[in-house]
Amino acid sequence: MPPLTELPTRPEPARRSKLNRRQALSLLATSMASSLAACSKPDQQILPYIRMPERIVPGEPLKFATTLGLAGLGRGVIVTAIDGRPIKVEGNPRHPGSLGATDVFAEAAVLSLYDPDRSRTILHDGAIASREALQGALASQLADARNRQGDGLRLLTGRTTSPTALRQIDALLQAFPAAAWHAYDPTDDDNARQGSQLAHGRPLRGVADLAKARVIVALDADPIGHGPDQIRHGRGFAEGRSDANSFSRLYCLESGFTLTGAKADQRLALRPEAIERFAMSLAGELGEARGATELPERERALLRKMSTDLSAHKGAALVMAGPTLSKEIHALVHWINAQIDAPVRLIEPIDRTPSGQQAATLEQLAGDLAAGRVRQLVIVGANPVYDAPADLQFGARLQQAPFRLHMGEYVDETAALATWHVPQHHALEAWSDLRASDGTASIVQPLIRPLYCSYGVHELLAWLAGEQDASAYDLVRQTWQSAATGDFEAWWKQALHDGVIAGPGAAAVAVAAPQLPPMPGGEAQDTHADGITLILRPDPCLWDGSFANNAWLQECPKPLTKQVWGNALALHPDDATRLGVASGDIVTIGAGDRTLDVPVLTEPGTAAGVGTLTIGAGRHKAGAIGDGVGANAYALRTGEHRWRIPSVSVTRSGRREPILTTQNVVRTPNDVRELYPLYQLGHTPAAAALDDTPSLMPRTIQSSDGHAWAMVIDTSVCIGCNACVVSCQAENNVPVVGPEQIAMGRDMHWMRVDAYDHGMANGRPLGFQPVPCMHCEHAPCEPVCPVAASVHDHEGLNGQIYNRCIGTRFCEANCPYKVRRFNFFGYADGEEYANLGADSYRGQKNPEVTVRARGVMEKCTYCVQRISGARRSAERENRTLGPDEVRTACQNACPTRAISFGDLNHTDAEINRDKADPRHYALLGHLGTRPRTTYLADLRNPAEE
Amino acid sequence: MSQVLVPQQPPAHRWISAERADDVAITQAIADPLFTGFGKRWWLALLATLPFVLWLLVAIVWLFYRGIGIWGINSTIVWGVAIANYVWWIGIGNAGTLISAMLLLTRQRWRASINRFAEAMTLFAVAIAGLMPIIHLGRPIYAYWLAPYPNTMALWPQWRSALVWDFWAIVSYLLFSILFWYVSLIPDLATLRDRAPRRGAQLVYGAFALGWRGSAREWSRLQTLHSTMAALGVPLVCSVHSIVGLDFAASLMPGWQESIFPPYFVVGAMYSGFAMVVVLAAGIRWGLGLQAIITPRHFDAMARILLMASIVMFYSYATEWFMGWYGGEHADRAVVRFEFTGTYAPLYWALLTCNCLVPQLLWWPFARRSLPVLILVAIAINIGMWLERILIVWNTLSHDYMPSLWRSFHFTFWDWSFLIAPLGFFAFLFLLFMRLIPSVSMFDMRELAHEEAAA
Repeated sequence: MPPLTELPTRPEPARRSKLNRRQALSLLATSMASSLAACSKPDQQILPYIRMPERIVPGEPLKFATTLGLAGLGRGVIVTAIDGRPIKVEGNPRHPGSLGATDVFAEAAVLSLYDPDRSRTILHDGAIASREALQGALASQLADARNRQGDGLRLLTGRTTSPTALRQIDALLQAFPAAAWHAYDPTDDDNARQGSQLAHGRPLRGVADLAKARVIVALDADPIGHGPDQIRHGRGFAEGRSDANSFSRLYCLESGFTLTGAKADQRLALRPEAIERFAMSLAGELGEARGATELPERERALLRKMSTDLSAHKGAALVMAGPTLSKEIHALVHWINAQIDAPVRLIEPIDRTPSGQQAATLEQLAGDLAAGRVRQLVIVGANPVYDAPADLQFGARLQQAPFRLHMGEYVDETAALATWHVPQHHALEAWSDLRASDGTASIVQPLIRPLYCSYGVHELLAWLAGEQDASAYDLVRQTWQSAATGDFEAWWKQALHDGVIAGPGAAAVAVAAPQLPPMPGGEAQDTHADGITLILRPDPCLWDGSFANNAWLQECPKPLTKQVWGNALALHPDDATRLGVASGDIVTIGAGDRTLDVPVLTEPGTAAGVGTLTIGAGRHKAGAIGDGVGANAYALRTGEHRWRIPSVSVTRSGRREPILTTQNVVRTPNDVRELYPLYQLGHTPAAAALDDTPSLMPRTIQSSDGHAWAMVIDTSVCIGCNACVVSCQAENNVPVVGPEQIAMGRDMHWMRVDAYDHGMANGRPLGFQPVPCMHCEHAPCEPVCPVAASVHDHEGLNGQIYNRCIGTRFCEANCPYKVRRFNFFGYADGEEYANLGADSYRGQKNPEVTVRARGVMEKCTYCVQRISGARRSAERENRTLGPDEVRTACQNACPTRAISFGDLNHTDAEINRDKADPRHYALLGHLGTRPRTTYLADLRNPAEE
Repeated sequence: MSQVLVPQQPPAHRWISAERADDVAITQAIADPLFTGFGKRWWLALLATLPFVLWLLVAIVWLFYRGIGIWGINSTIVWGVAIANYVWWIGIGNAGTLISAMLLLTRQRWRASINRFAEAMTLFAVAIAGLMPIIHLGRPIYAYWLAPYPNTMALWPQWRSALVWDFWAIVSYLLFSILFWYVSLIPDLATLRDRAPRRGAQLVYGAFALGWRGSAREWSRLQTLHSTMAALGVPLVCSVHSIVGLDFAASLMPGWQESIFPPYFVVGAMYSGFAMVVVLAAGIRWGLGLQAIITPRHFDAMARILLMASIVMFYSYATEWFMGWYGGEHADRAVVRFEFTGTYAPLYWALLTCNCLVPQLLWWPFARRSLPVLILVAIAINIGMWLERILIVWNTLSHDYMPSLWRSFHFTFWDWSFLIAPLGFFAFLFLLFMRLIPSVSMFDMRELAHEEAAA
C-alpha cells in the first residue's frame, strides 16, 4: 500500500478491515495462481500410465506358487495376490505335501503375515537398535568364536529341511569346527526315530501311503490328524475309500480321541501301556512269539480280527505307531510292517546337512549352557524358552550364554531373554526352500516385499559366515545351480512356476529285514492303573504354539470338542466323576514337582485312566491375540516324557472357568440318527431315497437355460480338519469375534463342521458334517425378510443383500439349519476384537467381498465372487462355463475332496454323479426346503463279527 | 379429593355404589380434580417415574451407540427381550379397544367406568410396543424401509413377510386407537372447556373439543360414528394380535409353526390386557377417589373375564402340547419336552402357575371382590404372560432342528433395562394422562347413572 502523500480529503470511514477491496482481490488472485502452481509436474521426467507394467492389472488377482512350512516340513501352496497383497492361500496340486488342498495352518498363514504384533526392528536388550550396531556386535563375537575355532558358538534352529539352510549350516560348521548345531522341534516324534534306529540301525523316515492300504491299523497314531502329513494322509484315506470294492478298513487303538479315531471303522480306547501290550500281541499273532501276553476279551476279539485282516492283505496292510508309544514298539511296528509288506517307503532323514551332519539335541544344548560352555548362542526360528521341556529350565540356563541372538517373527518369550533380536521374514516375504515330508523339495518365493524391516534365515546364516551382503535369493539359487539340468534360468522359472522341484522326492532306501528289539516285560507296565496318564498332543489349531497369535486359529473350533480360545484337559466322564470334577472345573495337574492349572472337559472318547491335553496354549509373549489364552502344557513336559507323562495327579482347585465352545457335539441318539445317517459297507440303501412322496410341486426349481449351482458333501471322507472353515474365513472376510463374544454365544463362521457322535458300542465313531448355507430352493429365510434382503437368484443362489438388510434377524430365526450369522457388533467394522482393527490387517481383506457392517446378517454365498469371476473369464474367452469350473473356497481347501460343487444343469458335472449315489440325502429334507447343499451319508467298514 | 359421590356398602346400584349420582355430581367428581390439582401425591408419583424415563432414554441411546450386541441375544437365539416386550405390550394394548368396542357392541353398560383409561392404556402400550420392533433392529435407522414409499433404490417391502403385515397392523391399530379414543373424548373435552377456570385451559380444551355444543344432532352423529368405529375396531383388535401371532406361526420352526397361534395370541392379549386394566382401575379408583363409580362389581365382572380367559389359555397350551405329540414330528415333541424339562423349565412352570393355576382363585366370589387378591392375581397374570412371550421365543430358538447349535439365553443388564424401564415410562405417560384428561368418561357415566336410576 503506497504511503499517503496527501491529507485525506474525505473523512476516513470507520476502520472495518485492514484490507481494502483492491488488496483483497489481489490476494485472491495470488492464492488462485499459487494453487495452480502447486499442481504442476515434478521437475524430473515422469511417464504416464498408458502401458501398464506387465501382469499388473489393478484388481486382477495374480497367483504364485510357494511353500509354507509346518514343523519344518513344506506344503506347497498357490497364493493369490491382489494389487501386490497376498490374500488367500490355496493348495498346489503338483506338490505332494498339498495335493491341491490346504490345512488350517496354511490357510491362516496369510493372516499372520499382516499381524501388527510381528517384530519390526532389531532389538538390543529390548531397545531398538540399528543393523550396523548388530553387525558390529556380531563381528566382534564372530572374531571371538573364530579365535576359539568356534568353541562356544552354538546354533539352535527348529527342524530344518531347507537345502539352502542345511548347506549354509554345513559351511558354518566347517568354518567353526568346534561349534555345534542343535535343532529342536516341540512336535518331533523322537521315539519314531529311535525305533527306526533299533529296527534298521539308522534313523530312517517312514512315508506311509494310506491310499494303497486296504487295512490300516493306527496304534495311538493320528495320521489324519493335524500336522505336516495331514493333507497327504487325508487324501490317501479318502482314496482308499473311493471304491466300494476296495474299501479300506481303519482300526484305531488310541488313548485320547483323535480325528483318526473318529473316522475309524473299529476303535478301541486304551491306555498307552495297553496299546503297547496289544502291539506285542499283534506281533505274536503275526509270528513273533516273544511278546504275546494275555489280553482282555474285547481286545482279544479285536486282535483276532485285526491279525486276520492284516495277514489277508499282505502288501496292502499298514500299521502305524504314534509318539506316545515307546521306541521298542516303534521298532516292533517296523518289523510288523515288514512282515505284512506294508506300503511304507523308508527314506533317509531330510533334516541332515549335505555332509550328513545331524543336529544335536536341545538337551545337549541345555547341558552345555548349564556348564557355561556356550559363549555365543544363535537361535533361529525357535522359541525354546516357551516350548522346551520344563525340566530343562531353558529360560534360566539360556542366560548363562553371554551373547544370545534370537531371530524370530515375533518378540516372543525367547526374544525377551535374548541380548539381540532380529525380526524374521514371514514365509510369504522370504526366499527359501523346503522339503515335504516325503523329501520332495520346493522353492519358497516371496509374494510381497517385507512389510517390516525384517531379514531372512539365510541372510542371518550368511552373516554368521561373514557375508554381510548375501541375499537369500542368490543363496537359494546357488543351492540349486547343480540340480538344474540344462539351462538354469529355464529350470528355475519352471521350479518357481510349478512350486515344486521336479523329481519323485527322496528315494526309498533298501533295507534288510528289521531287527526285533528286546521287549520290555508286558505285565510290568500296569503299575499306574489308578493314576491318570497324561497324553500331550499338538494342538489342532495352534499346533506347537507358534500360531497362538493368529485370531482365525484361536477362534477355530477344535474338531472333537469345538472348544475355542483355550485348551482343556480331556477326561473320560467316568474318570471325571471319580475325581469329582465336571466340565469347566479347573484342576491342578501335578507331575513330579511341576503343576499346571487347566479346566476339565469330559470327552467320552478318551480311554479310562487317560487325560489328554494339547500343547501350544498359555503363551505370555505371543501378542495381543494369543497372550494368556489357555494353559501351557509344556510346563508338564520333560525331556524323557515328551508325549506321555505317566501317573499325574489331578486335583480339584475349586475354581471354574467355562469352556468356550462355538457349538455342541451332538450325542443324543435320535438326533444323530436323523441328521447324520451312517451305513455300514454293503448295507447302503438300494437307491437314493430322497423325497419320493407324491407332490404337486415341480421336482426341482432350476432354470433350463442358466446354471443351477449345488454342492454335495461326502461325510464319509470328511475328517473334520477345519481347513474349509478357515479357508472360508479367509476368502469371505469373515471376522473374528473374540472370546467374550463367543461366551455370549456369538460367532461368525459361515462354514461350521457339526460333529455327530454315534457312540456305537463305545467305539465312538464320530462323524463330521460341514454345514455351509443350504441354498434351499424353498428357502425359509426368504419369505420372512420384510425388506427383501434375502433373495433368490436365477441360478439358485440364496443371496443376502447386505446393504438392504435392516437386521430383523427373522431369517436366522427361521433357518432350520442355523447357518446365518449376525453382526451384533461391528466385528469387522470398527468394533474389532483386540487389535484386529489394525490397519495392517486390511491388507488381507478380499476386495471382491463386502466387509459387513454392524447390524447386518451374513452367510455363505457359495463364493458368489468366484462364480462371477469364472463367468467373466468364460465370457471374455467366448465359451460356456465348464461343469466343474467354479471351485468354492471350502472345496479347494478340502484335503479329502469331500466337497463337490457344480452346475446341476450340466449332466456330466461331478455333483450329478454324487446325487445319484444311494447314500445321497438332504439334511432335514422332510421340511420341504429342497436344499441345494446335500450330503452323502457316512460309510464305515467294520470287520464282520 | 372431594368426595362428591359417597360410595355405600353394600353398593346402592348395580354399577354405581353411591346412593345419589346426578349429572352434576358425576361431572364434578371426575372433572374438578383436573382444575384443582392432584396435590403432592401426584407429583411424588411423577417424580418416582422420572428415573425410569431417563433410564429408558439412556438405554436407547446406548443401544443406538453400541449396537444390539449389548443384549443377551446370540447366533442361535437371535430374538430376545425386545420381541417378548413387543408382544406383551401390544397384548396390553389390545384390551382397551376391546373393552370399549366389544363391550359397546354387546351393550355392556358397565364399560362406561373403565373404557376411557383402558383406551389410554391401549394408546400408551401400543406406542411402547411400536418402539420395540424398531429398537430391536440391527440397523434401526432404516426402519422406514418397511413402509412402501417411492425411492431411487427401487426398494419395496417384501409383502410375504409377516413383519410387513405387522408393520401395517401396528400402524393401523395405533391410528385407529387414537381416533377411537379421541372421538369418545370430544364431549368430555367440551365439558372441560366449559368448566375450565383459566383462559389457557379453556383455549386448549376448546380447540380439541372441535366446537362441540351438545346438540341432539351432534350426539346422534357421535354415537353413529362411535358404534361404527367400534364395529371396525373389533376385527382390527383381532387382526393385530393375530398378525403378531403370525410372526411366529408363519415360520418353519418347531413350536412356532402352529395354526392355533393367531386366536391363541388374541386371547392371550385380551387376558393380559384385562389384567392390566384391573391393576390400573384399582390405582385410579384409589388415586382419584372414584370408589363410587368403579365398584366391586366392575372388578367382579373383569375377574370373570380373566377366569374365562385363563381357561382358554390353558386350553391353548394343552392344544399345543397335544398337537406337538400327536403330530409326531421329532422336533416338535422335542420342543415340548424341552419346555417342561429344559433350561427354562422353572420359568415355564412359573408361567403355568401364573397363567393357569393362580387365576383359578377367581372361582370364589370373595377373591373376585377382594381388591388385594384380585390385584395380585392380575399382576401374576401379567408376569405369566410376559414369561409366555419370552418363552415362545427362547424355547423354540434354543431347541430347534439343529442340536449342534442349541444354546441358552443369558440376560444382560440391558435386557433388564428394556424390560423394566418401559414400565416406568408407561406409568409416567399414564400419570400425565390422568392429570390432563378425565380418566373416566363423564358422558358415559351420566348415561349409566340415569339407566341405573341413580341420577
